[in-house]
Amino acid sequence: MGALSLSQFIDLVVGGLAIGCVYSLIALGFAMIMRATNIIHFAQGEVMMLGCMCGLTSLWLLPALPLPVVIAVGMASSGLIAVAMELAVYRTLRRRRVPIMNIITATVGMSILCINAARIIWGSEPLRFPELFATSAYEFGGVRISPQLFWIMVMGVAIMGALQLFLKHTPTGLAMQAVAQDQEAAQLMGANLTRMMAYTFAISGMMAGAAGIMLGSLFFAFFEMGFITGVKGFVAATLGGLGSIAGAMLGGILFGLIETFSTVFLSSAYKDGIGMILLIAILLVLPSGLVGLWQKRR
Amino acid sequence: MAKAQVTASSDQGAHRRGSVHGAALLVVAALIALPWVEPDKFALHVISLIAIASIAAMGLQVLLGYSGQLSIGQAAFYGIGAYTSAFLTAKLGVPFPLALIGAGVAAAIASLLMVPITRLTGAYLAVATLGFSIIVYLFIKNEEWLTGGSYGFIGIPRAELFGYVLRDPRSSYYLNVGVAASVYFVFARIEGSRFARAINAIRQDADAARASGIRVTLLKSECFVIAAFVAGLAGSLYAHEVRYLAPNDFTFWKSIEILIMVVIGGVGSLAGAILGAAVVVGLPEYLRAIGDYRMLVFGAILIATMLFGEGGLAALVAALGRRLCAVAMRLIPKLPASRKAAQ
Amino acid sequence: MSTAAPGECLLEARGVTRRFGGLVAVDAVDLAVRRGSVHGLIGPNGAGKTTLLNLIAGVHRVGSGLLRFAAQDITRDSTAKRARAGIRRTFQNLKLFGEMTALENAAIGLHAQTHGGFFDAVFSTPRHRREERSIADRSMAALNFVGLAGLAQARADSLAYGHRRLLEIARAIVARPALLLLDEPAAGLNVTEEAHVSDLIARIRDEGTTVVLVEHHMDVVMRVSDEITVLNYGRRLAHGTPAQIQEHPAVIEAYLGRAAETDRAQA
Repeated sequence: MGALSLSQFIDLVVGGLAIGCVYSLIALGFAMIMRATNIIHFAQGEVMMLGCMCGLTSLWLLPALPLPVVIAVGMASSGLIAVAMELAVYRTLRRRRVPIMNIITATVGMSILCINAARIIWGSEPLRFPELFATSAYEFGGVRISPQLFWIMVMGVAIMGALQLFLKHTPTGLAMQAVAQDQEAAQLMGANLTRMMAYTFAISGMMAGAAGIMLGSLFFAFFEMGFITGVKGFVAATLGGLGSIAGAMLGGILFGLIETFSTVFLSSAYKDGIGMILLIAILLVLPSGLVGLWQKRR
Repeated sequence: MAKAQVTASSDQGAHRRGSVHGAALLVVAALIALPWVEPDKFALHVISLIAIASIAAMGLQVLLGYSGQLSIGQAAFYGIGAYTSAFLTAKLGVPFPLALIGAGVAAAIASLLMVPITRLTGAYLAVATLGFSIIVYLFIKNEEWLTGGSYGFIGIPRAELFGYVLRDPRSSYYLNVGVAASVYFVFARIEGSRFARAINAIRQDADAARASGIRVTLLKSECFVIAAFVAGLAGSLYAHEVRYLAPNDFTFWKSIEILIMVVIGGVGSLAGAILGAAVVVGLPEYLRAIGDYRMLVFGAILIATMLFGEGGLAALVAALGRRLCAVAMRLIPKLPASRKAAQ
Repeated sequence: MSTAAPGECLLEARGVTRRFGGLVAVDAVDLAVRRGSVHGLIGPNGAGKTTLLNLIAGVHRVGSGLLRFAAQDITRDSTAKRARAGIRRTFQNLKLFGEMTALENAAIGLHAQTHGGFFDAVFSTPRHRREERSIADRSMAALNFVGLAGLAQARADSLAYGHRRLLEIARAIVARPALLLLDEPAAGLNVTEEAHVSDLIARIRDEGTTVVLVEHHMDVVMRVSDEITVLNYGRRLAHGTPAQIQEHPAVIEAYLGRAAETDRAQA
C-alpha cells in the first residue's frame, strides 16, 4: 500500500470519473422514473444490458459501424424496450391502482424476464466488444489517459448535457418535468399523460443504453451485467438524492470515484460490497441524499 | 353475547376452519403414506427439495404476506444456515439436531443486523435486503478458509437422528417433510392472534398502527428474525440433503426464487408458499424440456400474477375447492354440514 | 390568555411552533386542555388546527415549544409512545385497516394494553387465551358503545362511510385513553349521523376521557364542547366557552373576513 504515485492517483481519478459517468447515466434513469411514477424501476439495469447487447449485435452485423452510430443503435433499442415495458405492463398496473408492492414485484419479474431472455438469445458467455478506440494513450500536458476512458467521459457529459437542455428548453421536456411534479395539474394544462410517461421511460432507457455500450466496451457484455450495475446505479441515485436529476449525476460521479478508490484499501473481491454497504448506510443515515442535505442547509 | 375469539368467530368462520383442518389432516396422512405407495427414490428426493424450499418460502410469507415487507435477501439466511450446519457437523462433529437448531439460530442472529433496515419501507427495504444478501454472498465466496469458497464445501455428513443415520431418500423425506409440516403448523397457529393482527395492521397502514401504540419497528424486526430462523433451518436441511455447497447456490437468484414461490403461490397464503415451492422446484425436475426457459417462464408468471390477480395458486385451488364442496353438498343432502347450514 | 379554570390541566401546549419550508403552520400556540372536558379547536381553513393536532399526536416534530401530558414532558416522544401513554386519535382521512373486520380493527386499539406475542400464540398459553377473550369482549363493548355491534364481522372497507367514521372512533376509545384527539369526526356526515356523533362525543367525555375536537361543523362543536380555542393563520385567536366564542368579535371577523375576501375575489 503506502502512498500513491501521482500517475497512479490520476489513473484512479480518471477511472473513477469514467465509471462514474456510466453510473450517472443509469442513475438518471432511476431518478426520472422515480419522479414521474414514484416507483423504483428494478429492471433499469436490464434495460442497460439489452441496449448493450443490441449495440454489440449491430457491430456483428456491420463491423465497420463508427462508435457514435453504435451508441445511437444501443440507445434507440433500449429506449424502445423501456417504452414497451411501460406500455405493456406498468401503465396498466398504475391505472388499476394496485398496491406499490405489486408494482415493485412486477418490475422484479420484468428484470428476471429480460435477463433470461438475454441468456437464451445471446448465451451465457461474456462477449467482447471489438476495438472501438485507439490503443495508444492520449497525452494532456504530461498526463496520460486511456482513449477509451476519455471518450466515455466526453460522451457521458455530452449526453447528460443534452438531457439538461432537452428538459429545460424544449416544450416536451418542460411538459415531462411538469408531469413529474404534479400529474393532475399537468394534465389540466393539456399534457398527454400517457405520452409523457412513455417519453420518460424512453429517455431513461436511452440513457441506460448509452451506459450499457460504454460499460460493455470497457469490460465485456453478458446477460447478467445489468443486475449489479443496476443496483449500483440505484446506489448512486440514492446518494445524490432519489428523485433529483442533478443529484443522480452528482451521485454517479461520486460513487464511481468512491468505488474506484476503495480498491486501494480493500481487496477487489469485495468491491461490489462497497456499494451495498454505502447503500444501506445512505438509506439509514441520509435517505434524502446529498441534495437533501444541501436543501436543508439553505 | 361474549365471543371467544376475535377473528373468524362466526359460525361460517368456524365451519371454514373446520374444513381447512380436515383438508390439512388428509394431506398429512397422504404425506405419511406416500413413500410406501410411490417409493421412487428420485420422486422422494424432489419432494424433499420441495419441502426444504417451502420452509424458506413460508418464512418469506411471514415477512411479505403478513407484515408486508418485501425482502429479496432471504438467500443470505438460507446460506448462513447451510454453511453453519455444514461447518458444525463436518468440522466440529456437532450432532445433527444441534446443528439444525444452530443453523437457525445463526441465521436469526445475523438477521439482527437487519433491525435498522426494518425502518425502511417498500422498494427501499427491498434493495437494502438485496444489498445485504450480496454482502453475505461475497463473504461466502471469498472466505475460503471457512466456506471453501468457489471450490465448495464438500464432505457434509448425512443427517443423523439419535444415532440413526438417514441413509436413504425415504428417511430424509420424513425428516424434511416433517420439519416443513411443523413449520407450517406453527405458523398456522398464529393466525387470528394478537401478533398476527398487529403485523397485518402494520402491512395495511403502519401509521395507523403506530397511532394505536404498536411498536412497528420492533414487530417488523421480529418478523425478520422469524423468517431468518426458518430460512436457516431450510439451509441446514439442504446442506445435509445434497451434501455439497457452493456459493452459486446462494446468490440473489436464490432470493428471487424464494420470492417467486411466494408470489406464484399467493401472497398471504401459507399453503400457497408450499404450492409455489412445488411449482418452482418440482416442475423443472419433471419438465426437463423447459430447463433453460424455467426462469423466463417464472418471470412472465410473476408479471402476469401482478397484472391479473395476486391470489396466485392458493386462490385458484381454494376457488376450486369451494366449487367441489358446493357440488358435494348438493349431491349428498344428508351431510351434517348441509343440515347445519339449513338451520 | 387562558382563563383560570377549575379542573387539572391534562394536556398543555406552550409556545408550540411548526414550520413547513417557508410556511409557519402553527405559530407559538398555547393550549390548555382540562381533564374531563371536550375542548374544541376551530378556525378557518388553513388555520393550523390539524397541524396542531398532529403535533400533539406526535406525527410532526415540534419546531419549538413544549408539550406536556399529565405533567410529563412528551415533546420528544414518538407517536407510539404517546399512544401507549394514553393519547389516541382518529384521522381526517380515515385510516382503517380495510381488510380486517370491524371487530379486528377495534381490537388493534388494545394491542398496547396486552402482551401475548409469537410464542404465546403458537403454544396457546393460558395468558394468550385469557387475553384473546378479554380483547374480544372489550372490542365488542367498544363497537356497542359507538353503535356498530351488528357489523362486528363486516370487513372494514365494506362499511358505509358513516360507519367507518364510527369504527375509527371505536378503535381509538377501546383502550379507554385519557385523551382522545378527534380530527373532523363529522366530516361528510348527514344531519342524523352528525347528531349521533355529537351524542357519542358527550358520552365519551362522561366515561372519563378528555377530548380535543377539531371540527368544521359548527353545530357539533358548539353543542358538545365545554371550551373552545380558535386558531387563525397558525396563531391562537381566542379561547372561551361556546357562548363567548360565538360573540367574540375577532372570531366573527376571522370567519366573516374570509367570507368577504372570497366574495371580493369572485366579484
